Amino acid sequence: MGVLELTEITKTYAMGELEFQALKGVSLKIDAGEMVALMGPSGSGKTTMMQIIGLLDRPSSGTYFLRGADVTTLSENQRSEARNLSIGFVFQAFHLLSRQNILENVEVPLMYAGLPARERRDRAMTLLEKVGLADKWRNLPSQISGGQKQRVAVARALTMSPAILLADEPTGNLDSRTAVEIMALFQELNDEGTTVIVVTHEPDIGDHCKRVVRLRDGSLESDTINPSPHRAVPMGMGFMTQIPVVNS
Amino acid sequence: MNRASQQPATLEPVAVPRASTRGGLPLSQTFVIAWRAILGNPLRSILTALGVIIGVGAVIALTSLGSGATSGIQAQLAGLGTNLISVSSGQARQGGPPGLVRGGGSPTITVGDVKAIAALEGVAGVAPTVQKGVQIKAGSENTSSTVIGTYPAYETVRNSAVETGTWFTDNDLTGRKRVAVIGYQVEQDLFVGADALGQKFKIAGVSFTVIGIMPDKGNSGFASPNGNVFVPLTTYQQRLAAQTSSSGEQTVQSISIQGATKEGVTDLQNRITELLSVRHKKPTPDEYDFNVQNQADLLSSVNQITTILTLFLGGVAGISLLVGGIGIMNIMLVSVTERTREIGIRKALGAKPRDILTQFLVEAMVLSIGGGAIGILIGLALAFGGGRLVNITPVVSTGSIILAFTFSAGVGIFFGYYPASRAAKLDPVESLRYE
Repeated sequence: MGVLELTEITKTYAMGELEFQALKGVSLKIDAGEMVALMGPSGSGKTTMMQIIGLLDRPSSGTYFLRGADVTTLSENQRSEARNLSIGFVFQAFHLLSRQNILENVEVPLMYAGLPARERRDRAMTLLEKVGLADKWRNLPSQISGGQKQRVAVARALTMSPAILLADEPTGNLDSRTAVEIMALFQELNDEGTTVIVVTHEPDIGDHCKRVVRLRDGSLESDTINPSPHRAVPMGMGFMTQIPVVNS
Repeated sequence: MNRASQQPATLEPVAVPRASTRGGLPLSQTFVIAWRAILGNPLRSILTALGVIIGVGAVIALTSLGSGATSGIQAQLAGLGTNLISVSSGQARQGGPPGLVRGGGSPTITVGDVKAIAALEGVAGVAPTVQKGVQIKAGSENTSSTVIGTYPAYETVRNSAVETGTWFTDNDLTGRKRVAVIGYQVEQDLFVGADALGQKFKIAGVSFTVIGIMPDKGNSGFASPNGNVFVPLTTYQQRLAAQTSSSGEQTVQSISIQGATKEGVTDLQNRITELLSVRHKKPTPDEYDFNVQNQADLLSSVNQITTILTLFLGGVAGISLLVGGIGIMNIMLVSVTERTREIGIRKALGAKPRDILTQFLVEAMVLSIGGGAIGILIGLALAFGGGRLVNITPVVSTGSIILAFTFSAGVGIFFGYYPASRAAKLDPVESLRYE
């Protein structure tokens, strides 16, 4: 059983009189521990696919099993809960809450899970340490660099130990060096067992993943295993502590 | 060494409370979020709450001053005397509350009327009055005062005993003596630190001797009896001002009549009305050029006026709170639109529609309740500050404070619900895309 199994997923948008079919029956199975790139040009349906996988949107038809449970017909409240428990989002635009400091940002999913304050804080702090930003916990998102913001977002995505880390164009707003840092972080997390899905249109980013799924015009174009994924940094370099921190 | 690799390979899964027991976002946390949002834009928050602040402040200030004034008037009325009937010139207004008298025109009650009323059965005392405001002087001190010309019976009829000295007598009245009974404040103003009894002072240039001093009657904010000077009616008419009717008879402005018994007051009032109707040759009530009231009428008319005033204030309060509520709703709607992306992020991270609903509802309530609390403080400050200016001791009722507070909380819930439910219903995909 895969972590997620999507079967014959379709998605149709009504655009006034016209109907637009964004997904035309896509099936996809992802196992625990995989690192998958979901690729395709704009209009290929990869964003729609991401939204359905992330339980932000419902498919028009088809079934979706997440961690073995059918999540196709969940209510609004149940989907909120499932997102909270099983999906860790990383967005292109970081999507941190601007009024809260970065520790509080990492705490948000734990808050909606109803965890007591002390547990939230300890856990969020552990995650900030993991992404190398523990000493900046007091800072507001506006006071840190783009790469740091994305690392805070990764920490936030991991707080609930989700089934999948779902990253939507995670490097789209970053320069190439910082993008490599983030990909290195994803690879390291994947090495530790986290299932990672990266939605991207950049071939460079796809090269870092073990498996590449390509969509075109709403259909699966190809699904290939990358025999030698590109490592963002050589193993054992301990880049997290050695890379000079931007803007510090 | 690589610090990251020293971390455990993966974090242990979160020990999430079981689905059936999950309460979602705790309310205390919702308050923290709401408070952050309010502090995040303090100017706008204050402006949002301003409608409620002004509404509640106005209600508290006005009702406190209103009931202060009412209790002052009621105390004054109760102190007027017992079994009291008063006759005044003019006509009772048709259709209006009793006691509202159409003023204007020359006085129509004559000294002859006074004598005729005094001769009626069941009359314990009669005190006609004429009065005007004049400047009075003693040495270098001077003050403005209301000089009242009346009969010695005023003392008993209007419950106005002196504290020291005596009232003037019938002899003073017939002899047109220049003697005066002065109010407490007049004594304080004119005869600073000296014994006023036997001293001379001048009313409109005419010299009078102080023979009696009234006790402190308290200060109700309106025409205070402490500022009065009483002189014999005859002296007043000869020396200060005389008014005559069209037939050349001397007139008075009003007559206070004390009935012998409480039970006989209504009957006496009717007989006086009848007597004046005959004497003035005005057979029907529509033609009356006089007005006869008893104390109960006065009290009920005061109560009627204050009831109208209270309803009026309640209306103003309701309208201003409504306006305040609309202000809150307006800003909350703007705020929901502005924070569309925040709502999307929160939903993506696990916020349920109900969590978002409570978040915005609590924010609206904190604004309105906070506004209500500030409004109460400002209202109290205004009541006591303003009360000092117009000499009214405000009466603050806890009822009005509780009412204003609950009302403002209700306004927050009522007007906050629609924006909050709009926020709760936002589609996460759309709101994450919102710029």
